[in-house]
Amino acid sequence: MTAASVSPANPRRERLRLRMHSAREFVGRFAQHPDGVIGLAILIVFSVLALIPTLLVGRLETATIASGLPLQGPDATHILGTDDLGRDILNLTVHGTRISMLIGLLATLVTVVIGTSFGIVAGYVGGVVDAILMRITDFFLVLPTFVLALILAPIVLDLIGSDALILGIRANLFVTVIVIGVTSWASTARIIRSQALSVRERMFVDRARVIGGSSGHIMRRHILPNVVNLIVANTVLTFAGAVLTETTLAFVGLGDPFDPSWGQILNAAESRGAPGLGAWWFFAPPAACVVLVVLAFTLVGGALDDVLNPRARLRR
Amino acid sequence: MGGRYFARKLLQAIITIAFIVLLNFLLFRLMPGSPDRVLARNLPLDVRQVLLERWGLDRPVFPDQFVAYFGATLQGDLGESFKFQGVSVVDVLAQRIWPTLLLFGFGEVLAIIIGLALGAYSGWKRGGPVDYVGNGISLILYSMPYFVIGMILLMVFSGGLGWFPTSGMFEMGATYGSFVDQLLDFLAHLALPLTTVAIGLIGQYSILMRASIIETLGEDYVTTARAKGLTEGYILRRHALPNAMLPAVTLVAINMGYVIAGAITVELVFGWPGLGTLTVEALNSRDYPVLQGVFLLLSISVVLANFAADLIYGILDPRVRT
Repeated sequence: MTAASVSPANPRRERLRLRMHSAREFVGRFAQHPDGVIGLAILIVFSVLALIPTLLVGRLETATIASGLPLQGPDATHILGTDDLGRDILNLTVHGTRISMLIGLLATLVTVVIGTSFGIVAGYVGGVVDAILMRITDFFLVLPTFVLALILAPIVLDLIGSDALILGIRANLFVTVIVIGVTSWASTARIIRSQALSVRERMFVDRARVIGGSSGHIMRRHILPNVVNLIVANTVLTFAGAVLTETTLAFVGLGDPFDPSWGQILNAAESRGAPGLGAWWFFAPPAACVVLVVLAFTLVGGALDDVLNPRARLRR
Repeated sequence: MGGRYFARKLLQAIITIAFIVLLNFLLFRLMPGSPDRVLARNLPLDVRQVLLERWGLDRPVFPDQFVAYFGATLQGDLGESFKFQGVSVVDVLAQRIWPTLLLFGFGEVLAIIIGLALGAYSGWKRGGPVDYVGNGISLILYSMPYFVIGMILLMVFSGGLGWFPTSGMFEMGATYGSFVDQLLDFLAHLALPLTTVAIGLIGQYSILMRASIIETLGEDYVTTARAKGLTEGYILRRHALPNAMLPAVTLVAINMGYVIAGAITVELVFGWPGLGTLTVEALNSRDYPVLQGVFLLLSISVVLANFAADLIYGILDPRVRT
């Protein structure tokens, strides 16, 4: 990672060359994991769905502009049938992609930022700070965090009001992001801490300290770049968990009916008794999407872990 | 077993539980509206005064209110439900805990036996047909929310084939001629949710066990055992399995937290009258005391499960008892 300037003639170009080289090498090694490549392909498809849902299936259908009759089975006009309000399931599912992926992404960012900060500070500063931070981390590792999320979500929602808009996001979704982030950072913190502990002992960190680098500077410029590999692989797996948690939270009724995610569609299907009615098209598409996305993240995460952390014991 | 190991683990568990109570207290402070309103809505003034004094709400937050809250929790006083006026949270929980215990007790046992056996076998015959198919299925089940498994089973076996009832623990308003009839009705209602829980867990446990057994089979002592000319079956049973079980024990306990999340949704799909449906009912009616009670009960169960796992680990592996 440390791009030492070999030829002082043009250090910037040299650094760029090194970067390009390692990027090519990375792509080459990732391509050797077929399951990772399949996962990546699935994720690219879903990213496209999330980016341009309106271009693909038209605007999100609501009860007033529903295009079909209630609970129609799949036919030529409605490839995946309709829900109890006559809305096209394909339309809902494609639009749900955006919500599910967006919440997953934001929740992952919150998780990774909290987890990484905790891990680096605990690992680098050590001593009492480490002991305290790690006790908090262990506490969150043991807690059934999903249940905590279930209590936290309505409390926060009541505090800020469920119709509020925060940063352009509806309050329900925003709260889901925060709640997932706050309850799922602990394992990230553990992983990052163990790596930070070992990086701290390396020579260049001593050197930086000797020439007067502050702790904050060292943590940002020296420790962080050296734990990035772990963060990347971990982030992908965290994303899978975040999508699953969002789906489950929405399923038990904490979703936003006006911005339906996959979990929200599943919740609607369940509360209208779709399984008992045999209306498989109501819940099979969003369920399949959840499974595919989570599976894809798991595959990509596994492959990345192999490529970026070759020393880690191969678990598969 | 080493007394110091036991004492240290016990202390850890107690500290964690104390933290959980503290967190519950903080949540109780965070709640919308002033806490005394939350505690005593629509109550006569004198009753309210009693409640205020019991919870220390006329005194400073710290330490008085915290001490009062902590003391009440220790005595098993979790307040009263909003939704069921006049019923204590403890009574509400006590009523709903049995269905959950039955469902998840049996589910866990089934899943542990099948999942660990499947994982051990596919790890042992790594690359074989059972491994290939089993691992693929496990990976898909691992990515599938429990409630989706439940919805599929419900549609096929209840809605479609009509083999099993769709919802609840007993037939609504049924009268039973004998205990056997009642038991049969119960089992018919239990079958689908139990299968859902077991299927959901088998995927996780078999992945854990497979990784563990593969790691163990690479150890030096297994090579030594092979060099001594022992049969593969003997090596698996006497050398690899006991050691591979160690991480599995811990992971099963750590997994409890995730299992609970799944539990809530499975109960919801099948209308199973346990803690899961209680949680969702409390969520929809914003019955905070009940929600907090559920959180307290479930987190303490998880802590105790982890404690039990530590003890079992200590018995199985003498090395950790230092």
